[in-house]
Amino acid sequence: MIEFTIDTFVVEMLRSGIRLATPIILAAIGAALCHRAGVLNFAIEGKMLFGAFFGIVAAFWLGNSYLGVAAALIGGGIIGALFALFYLRYRVDLIILALAINLFISAMTVFFLRVSFGAFGSWTDPSIEQLPDIHLPLIESIPVLGRLLSGHNLVIYLSWVAAIAAWLVLFRTKFGRHIRAVGENPEAAESVGINAARVKLFVLVTSGSLAAAAGAFLSVGHLTLFTSDMSNGRGWLGITAALFGLNNPIFVFLAGLFFGVADALAVRLPTVTHIPPSLIQFLPNLSALLALVLVGLRGPIRTRLARRRRRGRRGAGAGIESLPPTGPPATPTIS
Amino acid sequence: MTQRIRVQARRRLVNVLLVPVLAIASGLVVASLFILLTPTPPLEAYGIMFTAGFGCEEIGRCALLTTLERSTPLVLTGLSAVVAFRSGMFSIGQEGQFVVGATLAAWIGYTLPLPPVLHPVFILVLAVIGGGAYGFIPAILKVKLAVNEIISTIILNSLAVLFMTYLVNFPMRADAGSTARSPLIAESAVLPSFLPGSQWGVGWVLAVGAVVGVLFLLWRTVAGYEQRMAGQAPAFARYGGVQSGRAAIRGMIISGGLAGLAGGIEVLGVSHQIVPGFSSGLGFDGVLVAILGLVHPIGVFFVAILFAGIRLGAQLGLQVSAQIPRELGGGILALIILFVSAQNLYVDLIDRVRNRFSRRGTTTDD
Repeated sequence: MIEFTIDTFVVEMLRSGIRLATPIILAAIGAALCHRAGVLNFAIEGKMLFGAFFGIVAAFWLGNSYLGVAAALIGGGIIGALFALFYLRYRVDLIILALAINLFISAMTVFFLRVSFGAFGSWTDPSIEQLPDIHLPLIESIPVLGRLLSGHNLVIYLSWVAAIAAWLVLFRTKFGRHIRAVGENPEAAESVGINAARVKLFVLVTSGSLAAAAGAFLSVGHLTLFTSDMSNGRGWLGITAALFGLNNPIFVFLAGLFFGVADALAVRLPTVTHIPPSLIQFLPNLSALLALVLVGLRGPIRTRLARRRRRGRRGAGAGIESLPPTGPPATPTIS
Repeated sequence: MTQRIRVQARRRLVNVLLVPVLAIASGLVVASLFILLTPTPPLEAYGIMFTAGFGCEEIGRCALLTTLERSTPLVLTGLSAVVAFRSGMFSIGQEGQFVVGATLAAWIGYTLPLPPVLHPVFILVLAVIGGGAYGFIPAILKVKLAVNEIISTIILNSLAVLFMTYLVNFPMRADAGSTARSPLIAESAVLPSFLPGSQWGVGWVLAVGAVVGVLFLLWRTVAGYEQRMAGQAPAFARYGGVQSGRAAIRGMIISGGLAGLAGGIEVLGVSHQIVPGFSSGLGFDGVLVAILGLVHPIGVFFVAILFAGIRLGAQLGLQVSAQIPRELGGGILALIILFVSAQNLYVDLIDRVRNRFSRRGTTTDD
């Protein structure tokens, strides 16, 4: 009997972790794509908030939650395109632009909430339906795994598909090679005929759509209401998770999952233990910082090892001097 | 030759002053489109907003004094960003450093009994040290391990906020029954204000002192010169014998100290305790003030007043008197920043207008 409740507790916590991780994962995959192309996209937080607002408003207008998510995807993409226009055409500083857009969206969603719907702080309408859970026929019947993998809504599955698709695009297609080339050395990429502007437009539009989908998940898929600033730092967590996962969509997915499960733990553990919730939320952030330090350490350590190896060989008089000079490895521009 | 240089200098000054003015005007014009959605006409709304933010009818109900009081943390976090940017570190860690300073101030404020004058001085020194130490972390990570300072400061911000939330909920909680908050600081630690009923006081004077201090540091000392060179032209600075890593670390410690001071002053002078979400209004305001103030201490001083005034005017004027959501204030500020960041558009425009009206060949050289 006790075993059964512990089992339920863990599975339920993991399920809630998956739900909490979804917006972070979607944001993180968008951020990772941007990082791969050498773009630091700080507007993800704002675009997520926009998606949350626009998604639920569109679901209300169009009378269908799926259409709400679709509208958020398109709207987020359009904002990403505008962002790219300012950045590529008018050479506006991307970080300043992003901070201004974040502030604008955070303020104006509340403004429109009150002016258009007369709502203070949060808004919902009984006609808006939550995204239904989808039960996967065969997988559902697997004992524990089935309860973890099945019975989620469309956006959760979308986040899984997005992770795999992003990995395939980045590492298995020519266009993905172009994205990485632009991120590592834009001049060299341009010189071999890669259109860097098009690559950057692509990553900005995609990350805008993904961030907006994350927002729509919060408002239409999770809570069926909009509250002011409901993205609540998840966009920033997404950027952190992208770096934590070394901008590799599969690792990024796992990093996002880690953040989500830590959140779920923070909600549930206080009911059974005395560990304060904010200390549990500490964990993913602290690990992300440690991961950054480790990535930073990788360079100097490798250089030192290479130097020692070379000196050792020279000392032994092996006469092999042809080892390539191993400087610090070509770390991606954003690490 | 000298005349040409003088003309150029004058032109640069005109650009520096004209761009923010044009950006503010454009921001207000675009924001008026949103005001049209409400029953109040835009001009009337702006009148209400500016009276409520900057007006001063009598000394007892003077909005301008409240604006000055609210500009204090903005001036200090803005200066913090200026010092960081000028030494080549795009730090957005002001919120974390602010939280560290504020938490230390709240803690020492109610635990350590000290005589009146000594108490706030000791606390503020500690807040500066705490903030500086917190600014040192991203700096050393950047210099030694090339960890991107933007990312590390974001993470450090959330760590500081989470830790503060933990402290306020558990060890520092005033009483278990009510909402989480720290105990009020001792009477001896409170920073005095100039007028009864207002919180505009010693904290603001310290902020003004910091403006002068940063001006002096950056433009009148060798260390400041190295700092600016390391920020503007790292390769040139290295060639000239400046250790740009050391300059960046020094810059970040000073930057963190300023943000920590902001947190300390906010607790000692205004809030007298900390609560969860204490810093959430702050966010990136320091960075935005620094950018809008053209990364200059004097600019920061005035932009901070503008920021605080528009926020106060939106809160008390628009929301209370005109039934317009106060968030419009944030929207206006965001638009102004957007227009400032697109300043190349204005610079082109100004140059074109000037070319049309100028005689002789003063415009051909660039």
